[in-house]
Amino acid sequence: MADPMVSGYADALFAVAAAEGDLATVEDELFRFAQALRSDGELSSTLADQSVPVSRRQQVVEDLLGGKASATTTALISMVVGAGRTAELPAIVDALVERSAASRNKAVATVRSAVDLTADQRDRLAAAINTRTGKAVEIKVVIDPTVLGGVVTEIGDDIIDGSVRRRLNQLRESFR
Amino acid sequence: MNNRRTRLLVAPLFALLGLVAFAGPASASGESVGACMAHHLDEAVEANHGDLHETLEDHHVQDELEKCFEAPSPILPELNEVIWGGSAFLILFVLMVKKGFPAVKGAMDARAEKIRSDLDAAEQARTDAQSVQADYEARLADSKSEASRLIDEARGAADQVKADLMARHEAELADLRTRAAADIESSRAQAIADLRAEVAGIALGAAERVVQSSLDAEVQGRLIDAYIDEVAGSNG
Repeated sequence: MADPMVSGYADALFAVAAAEGDLATVEDELFRFAQALRSDGELSSTLADQSVPVSRRQQVVEDLLGGKASATTTALISMVVGAGRTAELPAIVDALVERSAASRNKAVATVRSAVDLTADQRDRLAAAINTRTGKAVEIKVVIDPTVLGGVVTEIGDDIIDGSVRRRLNQLRESFR
Repeated sequence: MNNRRTRLLVAPLFALLGLVAFAGPASASGESVGACMAHHLDEAVEANHGDLHETLEDHHVQDELEKCFEAPSPILPELNEVIWGGSAFLILFVLMVKKGFPAVKGAMDARAEKIRSDLDAAEQARTDAQSVQADYEARLADSKSEASRLIDEARGAADQVKADLMARHEAELADLRTRAAADIESSRAQAIADLRAEVAGIALGAAERVVQSSLDAEVQGRLIDAYIDEVAGSNG
């Protein structure tokens, strides 16, 4: 299962967010920030750079999120960065999301798409996944231009790939 | 050998007896001229009753005295010399027969025996030498045979090594050829695959650009809806 350190941080962040009474918002903001860290290597390396003073890195976080995210989210990310766990922040957030969903007896379905899904599409996709797998899921959308079109859904170790990228890759394989 | 020595000793004896037998009357007396003249003169004086003068005038006496001046025989010695010489010879001959001849014979026998033994030793040495020579020749023949055998073995080993090297080189060459052919085939296949991949990449890149340009919001929405329908329609 997950790294004890990662799950420990996830539990702590979950507890703080739940205590603050704004779990859904904090969870969503943390998820988006974690995706930003995954896609932006420069931001990730800057916040993980031990040669940069902690206060400077925390200041970067506050500059990025100030006015765009809740104070709780900013404080939690700043705390993780200050603890020198920036590199582990995406995994911590993933564990937090799974833990939050599990608290509602749901699984997390990470959906990658070139464009955001409408609320109707999210609900229909959650229902379709429930129909297909028998699991109640919460949809977490990740905007990924490399998908080109269509959707890639990851539920745990299961992947349902309906992307244009996969079609092109299949076409590429057929040429070989 | 003994007959030869006997003949050598008897020949001088016969020569001496011949000289004595053929000695003439003139010199039978064996006297000197003076003694001869004195002898004849004494006989003539006594025949003439002591008359020296008549005796000297007698022609017969004068002839007899004249004979005393005649030269002695160039061959025959004087009788007394014959006697003394013969006696000495006989004494010497007897001494030689009694003492010298056995000593000489013993020395000769010893010498002959020594020569015989030397000849035997030489013969034995020659036999030994021949034996040694035969032994050496046998050893030499063995050595030559052994050397020939060793040379044959070495030649055989060299031929074997040569054959092994040739076989190994042939095998390596065949392996190299096989590997080279495989490499060529692999390179050819890789080149074809690379070319195919290159062509596919170019074609797919073009297709991707076309797809990207055609994927507007409406199309994206339809693709997502189609995906949802697909997930909902396929249980498991």
